[in-house]
Amino acid sequence: MRNAMNVEEWVELFREIGLDDAKMMEWHRRFEAKHPQAHRSFLEWLGLPEEEIEKIRVKSS
Amino acid sequence: MKNYTISKLAGEFGLSRSALLYYDRIGLLPPSGRTPSGYRYYTDEDHIRLDRICNFRQAGLTLEEIRAALESNQEPSLKVLEHRLKEIDHRIRDLRNQQKILAGMTKAGSFASSFPSVTKEMWVEMLQAAGMEENAMHRWHAEFERRTPEAHRDFLIYLGIPAREVLQIRKWAAGFQFAS
Repeated sequence: MRNAMNVEEWVELFREIGLDDAKMMEWHRRFEAKHPQAHRSFLEWLGLPEEEIEKIRVKSS
Repeated sequence: MKNYTISKLAGEFGLSRSALLYYDRIGLLPPSGRTPSGYRYYTDEDHIRLDRICNFRQAGLTLEEIRAALESNQEPSLKVLEHRLKEIDHRIRDLRNQQKILAGMTKAGSFASSFPSVTKEMWVEMLQAAGMEENAMHRWHAEFERRTPEAHRDFLIYLGIPAREVLQIRKWAAGFQFAS
């Protein structure tokens, strides 16, 4: 609906330029540690459902 | 069958009498009839219809869209609903932007930090921390612009980057030469 990329496309874009899954996880972990609210805001902005956001944040903490 | 006066029906839905008069005038909710002395009266059926009208109003459909949907005796078409969803998305984005601008204007401490969102600095800092190199970031912008230019623009706006800089970044990204 929205003219935006979904999460899978974001992940794919990062992989394309060489950011592998481990680095992406590291990114979430640091984001959650340093800017938890902003991390959340970004996940919301991506359009992730609430439970998915929680899952990611728990995994990154 | 229960009958309602106009004020009674309006009251039940927290509307004004004049709202129902207006709904009557535009043919959205004509009363089922008139009393011998000429007062409008509404029935349970009208009550149900008004309930649906209010639901659609809450979802932000226009009175015209509601009337068309009720007339055809169907739910509003998917197209109308999708259109409305799109409008809401845009509105949210605009509001987020306004929020950012206001937060920036009132930087004095607590207010700004009570509206946490991602800034350009944070974004870059976090990517660097995760081991992303500058040249990969350049490729990222270029690839983003190539695949979904509008999503790229929206994201830059989301980061609070001023409009002029957004344009510059996109122009640069569109002209990026990928090393083969």
